[in-house]
This record gives sequence, C-alpha cells and structure tokens, in this order.
Amino acid sequence: MNLDAAFWIALFFSTLRQTTPLLLTALGGMFSERSGVVNIALEGIILFGALTAAVVVERVEHTLGPGPHPWLPWLGVLSAMLVGGLVALVHAVVSIKYRADQIISATAINLLALGAPSLVLTYFYGNATNSKEVANRLPLWGPEGFALSPLVYLAFLLVPVAWWVLFKTPFGLRLRAVGEHPEAADTLGINVYRMRYVGVVLSGVLAGLAGAYLAIGFLNQFVRGMSAGMGFISLAAMIFGKWHPLGILFATLLFGFASALAIQLQGTEILPAVLVQAFPYVVTVLVLAGFMGKSRPPAAVGRPYEK
Amino acid sequence: MWKDRKRLGILVALGGGVLLLLWYLAPWAVPHRLFGGEGVLLSPFGHHLPQGTLPPGYRDGWLPWVFYPSLAWLALTLVLAWTPKPARKLYLLGILGLGLFLLTYLLFQASVAQVNAGTERPILRRYTLGLGSYATLAYSLYLLLLARLFSPGGLAFLVRRRGVVVPLFSLLLASLLGGVIVAVMKGAPGEAQTLREAWMLKLDLITYTYQLLYSPLVNPSGFLQSLLLATPLIFTGLAVALGFRGGLFNIGAPGQLILGAIAAMLVGVYLPGPRWLVLPLAILAAALAGGLWGALPGWLKARFGAHEVINTIMLNYIAASLFLFLISSNEYKFFGNTLYLPFKYPGYEARSYEIRPEARIPHWTELVAPGGELSFALPLALLLGLLGYFLTRKSLGHRVLMGLLAGVVGYWVGGLLPGPAVNFGPDLTSVRLNGAFLLALLALLFFHFYVFRTVGGYELRAMGLAPKAAEYGGVLAGRKMVLIMFLAGALAGLAATHYVLGGGIDEYRLKQSLPYSVGFDGIAVALMGQNTPLGVGLAAWLFGILLTGGLQVNLQLGISRELVAVLQALIVLFIAAGGFLPRYFTDPLRAAEVELREESRKREEREETP
Repeated sequence: MNLDAAFWIALFFSTLRQTTPLLLTALGGMFSERSGVVNIALEGIILFGALTAAVVVERVEHTLGPGPHPWLPWLGVLSAMLVGGLVALVHAVVSIKYRADQIISATAINLLALGAPSLVLTYFYGNATNSKEVANRLPLWGPEGFALSPLVYLAFLLVPVAWWVLFKTPFGLRLRAVGEHPEAADTLGINVYRMRYVGVVLSGVLAGLAGAYLAIGFLNQFVRGMSAGMGFISLAAMIFGKWHPLGILFATLLFGFASALAIQLQGTEILPAVLVQAFPYVVTVLVLAGFMGKSRPPAAVGRPYEK
Repeated sequence: MWKDRKRLGILVALGGGVLLLLWYLAPWAVPHRLFGGEGVLLSPFGHHLPQGTLPPGYRDGWLPWVFYPSLAWLALTLVLAWTPKPARKLYLLGILGLGLFLLTYLLFQASVAQVNAGTERPILRRYTLGLGSYATLAYSLYLLLLARLFSPGGLAFLVRRRGVVVPLFSLLLASLLGGVIVAVMKGAPGEAQTLREAWMLKLDLITYTYQLLYSPLVNPSGFLQSLLLATPLIFTGLAVALGFRGGLFNIGAPGQLILGAIAAMLVGVYLPGPRWLVLPLAILAAALAGGLWGALPGWLKARFGAHEVINTIMLNYIAASLFLFLISSNEYKFFGNTLYLPFKYPGYEARSYEIRPEARIPHWTELVAPGGELSFALPLALLLGLLGYFLTRKSLGHRVLMGLLAGVVGYWVGGLLPGPAVNFGPDLTSVRLNGAFLLALLALLFFHFYVFRTVGGYELRAMGLAPKAAEYGGVLAGRKMVLIMFLAGALAGLAATHYVLGGGIDEYRLKQSLPYSVGFDGIAVALMGQNTPLGVGLAAWLFGILLTGGLQVNLQLGISRELVAVLQALIVLFIAAGGFLPRYFTDPLRAAEVELREESRKREEREETP
C-alpha cells in the first residue's frame, strides 16, 4: 500500500473542510467565555442550526418547486444563525438573569437537541432520524477540483476579524473586561449583563453557522446526531488555543487534521475504521491533559455576576 | 395585613377566571374514545361534539348535577377570599372542591358502568375524565396551597421545602410547555365547526397525551414496565448525583455504562463456573470496569486540571467506538496484518454471544414466584434485614452486617415456606423486569449510607460544598476526586447489568442497540431528585412512567416518543433556573432570611390574637 500525492492532497482539503465547523464554533465559544459565560451548549446549538438550515431550505424548495435557486442556501444559513442565536439566548437568560449553573443550563440545551429534532422531523417528514435531502446546497467556490464551500473561506477569514474585534476595538476591550473582572467593569460603567448577552448570543450565531455548514455545505440533509461531539471538541480546542483566535486556529487545525485522517484512512487497510473514528476524541483527551495546566481561562468564567 | 388579603383575593380571582375559562373551553369527560385520539366530548355548555357517536343508553344527565354546585362553589371562593381571615375558609373550600371532583369521577364512572352492564363485551372501553374536571381538581389544590401560603409562616413553609417545590414547579412548567408543543405539532383529530370546538379539540388532545403519558400508573403491565425503565435510570441518576455531591459534573455515564456492559459480557460469556460465583463476579466486573472508566477523567482532573466535563464526554465517544470495535466484526486489518477477535456472534447483526445461564440475573417472576408458587423469600429477607438493622444498637458497620445476616436468614427460611400458586397473565410475564431492579434499590441504600452516614461521604460532601475548605480540613482532594469518579462510574457501570445480564431489552447479550444514552437521562434524574437517594429513586420512576407512556403516545397518537426527552430537557433547564421562582427559593442565605422574617411575623400574630 502506498500513500501517494493524491492521498495527501485529499487529506489537505479534507482537513480544511473538517476544521471549518470546529473553527466557527470555537471562535464563538471564545466570545462567550471571554465575556465570562461557559457555553457547552454549542454542541446542541450546532444541531439546532443544522436542523434549521436543512428544514428551511427543503421546505422553501418544496413550495417553490424544482429549479436552482442560488439565494436559497443563504436563506438557510441566515435562519440557522438566527435560531442559533435564539437558542444561545435561552442559555444566556437562564445563566445570566437567573444565575443558573452555566454547565447545567447548557446541558439542558444539549439534551433538548437530542430530542427536539426528532419531533420536528416527525412533524415534517414522518421519520425521526433525518430530513429529506435538499437540492440547493451551498455552492463551491474555487478552481475545478479544489473548490471549497464559501463558509470555509469565511471561517478562516474570521480568525483575523475576531482578533481585531477582540483586541483592537472598544467592544473587545469591554468584553474581555467583563470576563476578567466584572465588578471593575461595572464600576467603569460597562453594562456587564448586556456584554455577556452579546458574547453568548454571538457564540450561538457562529455555532448555528457551523450547523448550517454541516447540513447544507458538507452534506445535503440533517441527520440525527450529525454534530458528533464537534461542539465539545471545539471547546477543547478553544482551551488548547488559550482563548486566542490564532491559538484557536492552530488547535482546530490539529483536530481537523485528526478527523480528516480518520476519514482518509477509512477503507484503507492501515487501521480499522471504527477505531480511527475515535481519533479526534483521543486527541482531545490527550491535549486537555497535556496543556490545560499552562493556559489561564478568563478569571470570571463560570461565575454568575450579581450586581 | 390588608395588602396580603388584597393579593390573596387577586390570586384567587385569577385562578377562578382560568377555571371558568377551562370549564367553558375544555371537555369535562370523554365517555367514548377511538384509536387515534378521536372522542365524544362532553361538556355542560352545549352538548357533546359530533365526533363518533355515543352508544344508545348513555346518559349524560349527571353533568348538570355537578356543574351547578361547582359554579356556586367557584362563586363562593371568589367572594370569601375578600372577607377577613380568608385562609381558613379557603382550606374548607379547597376540601369541598376535592369532594366535587370525587363526585364528578363517581358519577361519570357510574354512567359508564350503566352502559357496559349487561353486555358481553364492554361497549365503552376507552373513557376518561376531561380537562374541565381536572381543572376543578387543580383549582382545589391551588386553593389549599394559597390557604397554606397566606396563613402565618406559610412562605417559610414553602421555602423550607424548596428541594421539592422547585422540581415539582419545573415539572409543571415543562408540562405546560409540552402541552403547547403538542398543540402546535399535532393536528387535533376531528373537525371543528366553531372556534370553541377547535379549542375543545386541542385541549382534549393535550389532555389525552398526558393521560397516556401517565397511564402506566393505573395499568399493571405499564406499572411493571415503568419499573423496568426506571432501573437503569436509578443507576445513572445516582452516578450523576454522586458526582454533583462531590462537586464534579459526571456527563460520562453513557461511556461508563458501555464499559460496564463490555465487562459484564466478557465475564458472563467466557467465565465458566457455578451460579453463586459467576453472577456476582459478572456484576462486580461491570461495576469495576465502569468505575475505572469513570476514574480516568477524575485522575486527569486531579493530576492535570483537565476539566471533567469535556473529558467524560470524549470518553463517551471513545467507549462507543471501542464497543463497536468489539462486536461489529471479528476480523480487522492493522497495517496490512489481520487481527482476529472472538467476540462477535456470527451473522449480520452486531452482537456478542449469549450470556451463560449461570450468569443471568433472574426475571422478576422467578424471584416473586419461582415455579409458579408465590415465594416468601424476598419479603421475609427484607423484613428481617430491616429488623436486624434497626434493632442492632452498635456502630454502622455492625448494623449493616446484622441487617445483611438477618436478610440472608430470612431469604433462606422464606424459600422453605410453601406459598400459594399464582398465575400471572402473559402481559405481565412478558415485561422483562429483573433482579437488577433490586440491585438498583441496593444502590440507593448504598448511596444513602455512603454519602450521609460515613466519614468518606462527609468528606465527599465537603468537597462539593467548599473544595478549598475541605482540603484545609484534611481531605486529600486529588485522591478523593478519583474515588468519587470511580464510585460514580461503578454505579453507571452497574446499569449495564440490567441490559446485559438481566436481559432488560430482549436478549441476554451485548447488542448494538444498547441504549447507553440513558446515561444522559441520569442528569435529569439527578437534578429532579435533588441528589438525594429518595429523590433520585422517585425521579427515575417518574421518568420510567413517562417513557412507558411515551410508547402509548406514539402508538395511539403518532407523536414521537422524543416528546419525553424534550420534557426531560425542559425540566433540567427549569430546575437550573430555579423554576423561575423568586431568588429565596434558590439562594440558601435568602431562604434563611425569609424564614426568620416569617417566624417573627408568626410570633406577632400570636401575640395579637389573644
């Protein structure tokens, strides 16, 4: 067996594709945690986003009739972002306004994401596991054979943007202040609650975007449990990347590479597929064990703020 | 005082308004219901709706006999709430309301019995009360609650019981929201002529859904089935609760369950030997494997500070891969070399070999009535065990030992006593409830004793409440963390005995359909049960009931069973938010403030009255 150039090129592009949802989600998680709210609901929000994108596109297609509608996938993307933001808002209200344990509140949303899609799918399609396939997927941009989904470009473009927003704008300064020392920020007249709401909702919007990418960019339908732990892996990547956009980029690339390797090795005789699928998860555990000690989370993360 | 009375009056008026609206909009009883939820709706306003037909001879003349007294009762509550000393009167009125509900129930049952009497097969088979009648019941309870709340010290009474109030209130809220979901997702069967009829149909659909969800309470085979489904939930609920008590969030119960299942399968299939040796070993193996899988994230946290939440979740995925690896194929290629495994049973389906008969946990009929004769072994063992425990006046260890010894003696003696022959019908014997349920009860006892009666448990709780203080007090935090996660994992691992050794699904083997996601349901169970053993047991049973009823909902109404999962998630969300109740229900300090305030008010009142 030989691993030729085609294998490596395929691996490279697969890495980019696998990294995209992780990167989007991890950047979102960064905004949330920088503002002082842990958001392990991202896993569930990805699912909600994917479900929304798939169902919206399929339903509109159904009413419009066949034929290409180039704007339609973008409608799906927008609605996924909207729903992602709304679901995150629930987490925000419960954990900021009602001062709930942030992990429990987020876990509730993850549990909801296990059950609710089945209800919606049963309502629309009469089966509980997957949606109908959509015809209008996100387009591919780029030269023949090397084309990538626009969201892939967007995700990588977001890294410098996030860096700029976080470290070069007043908004970013306030966001970080609220996550490091909310009392001090409050004294300076920053509205702690509002900043935290913005951080959490932003993370939801980005996770919803990741979901849309999975449903109508990567695949062309919603499949139950299609997020497969990506939300949690993103959080691990965010910790590994030390809550910094550049660090997150490299961390998610590592995880993306592990997943891509798992996919590329399937069907070869090097390692059995069922074991290879566990790659990214094992990498996550190892990374958290090896590097967690050196990174420092925002000081106020996980603590409800009381005025 | 006047301000309080005004508030009470407004609350009663609000409740009364809702009641009146429901009386008008919802059916009072459904004497005849078809498959699919369609029914003949009965209401005191107007007549039954034209859906299906009532059999000849059915009399609905009883309804006015209930309705007009109920109206008078409602008017009385609205008036009396504004008079001086309303609380005592509201107690009486609440009890009166309960009586009215009972009257409705009896009259309705009598009218149904009258139709069914004298026929060979009952004409009316599915019949239930409707939301209108239940509204009477709910309003009576509401009145009683208000009466208690507005008597002196009432708020403190409620706040002191916040461990029960918050989960129950969350359940109520989740049920309301669940009702809205049902109404949106599912069109009501039958056609409405007017707006009121449309409301009636929707409200009846929601009521019927919940009646089905809770139907296992009144149906023997459903009851056993609910215990069956509660069994693994008790284990996983305890696994999560133990973590919570120790300040750790164990989301790894699914993975721990999988490892327990694998270990139980390995011992159960491949270890020959007599029953008394193999069965305990298989159970022990499940606990040990789950425990080690749980201890791993505990160790990672203690040693490297890696957060247990993400690690336990990652280990879930890894466990699932391992599980599939073992049972989905016997032949794997590693770098061109072939590896042969002996675990997969030949055939298309991914499953292991069957557990040897010696390693199986007996079915409930074998425990209750081996050989068709009712056995006194278990009840006597329980009785003597409890006696032995409570009558021994020594240290905890002695008491537990005496209890166990007396229990064994009781089991042995009870086994020798002859019992009457019994014959359970096929719908009862087909329920796969097994001895793992008893193991679950033992696990509840273990949790209680370990957490609340031992030094180790004290240290565990100290870790959960104030880790730094506990460490200063001499708790070895790192080791304790690993131990907590080991015990939690062991509890989750024991859940596997129910599926693999007890044949909880349908076969005595490891199968791909192993429902390891009950590990996640454990989170809801632990929160609902407020991390106490009694609470976890009851919460697991509640979810067992809902899951069993969910099957009926799916079967009869075509609503996805996942409705129950959504309800569970909503309950967790609402409990996390303290049921959206005022802060003093969640914050212990403010709760204490409320109690003090109420106590002083009570004292004032006592000084005023004489």
